[in-house]
Amino acid sequence: MYVWIWRHLPGPTAVRIVESLVLLLLVVALLFFVVFPWLEPYLPFDRAGV
Amino acid sequence: MSHTQIAETPPARRRTGGDLVRTVVRGVGQLLMTLGIVVLLFVVYEVYITDLFGHQKQAEATTEVDQVWASSEVGATNTVIVDNPDQLVTDPRQRTPTYQTLTGAGFAKLYIPAFGADYVFTVVEGTDPDDLYVGPGHYASTQLPGQEGNFAIAGHRVSKGSPFNDLGLLASCDAVVVETQDDWFVYRVLPMEDEVTNWAGTSRAHCDGVGVQTGSYDSVFGREITVPSDYAQVLPVPHVPSTEVPDGAQRLITLTTCHPQFSDAQRMIIHGVLVKSYSKSADFLPPELGES
Repeated sequence: MYVWIWRHLPGPTAVRIVESLVLLLLVVALLFFVVFPWLEPYLPFDRAGV
Repeated sequence: MSHTQIAETPPARRRTGGDLVRTVVRGVGQLLMTLGIVVLLFVVYEVYITDLFGHQKQAEATTEVDQVWASSEVGATNTVIVDNPDQLVTDPRQRTPTYQTLTGAGFAKLYIPAFGADYVFTVVEGTDPDDLYVGPGHYASTQLPGQEGNFAIAGHRVSKGSPFNDLGLLASCDAVVVETQDDWFVYRVLPMEDEVTNWAGTSRAHCDGVGVQTGSYDSVFGREITVPSDYAQVLPVPHVPSTEVPDGAQRLITLTTCHPQFSDAQRMIIHGVLVKSYSKSADFLPPELGES
């Protein structure tokens, strides 16, 4: 998977490193701002009410 | 393998059965590692990121309630400077709330001096997830601060600003102070279950007005660990399955949060009783806020 992504990134190695960092940040942002907030109510971690 | 040999191999490799197995195994390995990292990221999100959002929402709610209070008549006219707090002591029976609560909006502030002088949270109306993200939330069907019955609040333990993370550290007689538009209400944590038998002999500081509960209140303690469905904890008389506030009911406060830390398998409940109330005045802070 990661090898496949690396092969398909355009540009020389230095540019590819920057591109992969940007991709990583995008994925983390997607998780933090979209996926986790949606997922959270279904998980048994912090319901505080009775 | 030497360099000359590499140069001799043709650039286009033929796919063999071994290559396919290798690719699949590597793919599965990477997927599992990725999932592990996603789970760790969720922990970071839950413990740190939601705290950031929660603090931000809490700050907005505080600004809002400060504006409402600043524009209210009481705050604007009652500017007598008092030297002696006793001048402002009120009878809670004479005080009726003059404010309206709005779901999701702040209407009171909660101070717990035992957690430090800077421990203050704006309490919002409602206990839905959106409300509790802002701060401790008032169970809308329970009574308001200072009233007979039960002023019950839920709050997150870990995440979303973590207002109630330290509830397990509260001791009996610790002050829980609630500020509303017109009043200060000083509640104190009730005796713990294991302190009840020897309570008569204790004469600790700040315990005036805090006693072992009797009658229909006899199973109400300072801290209780219970199941998540124990709604009777926030009823006017805790554990008594009735939403009616009986004549001569006590004025209680109830704080609920999840238990144990990082889980919500159970609930931790703190019960306190009203021991004093003050009317608000400019630059006056109840002396109880100075306790630690």
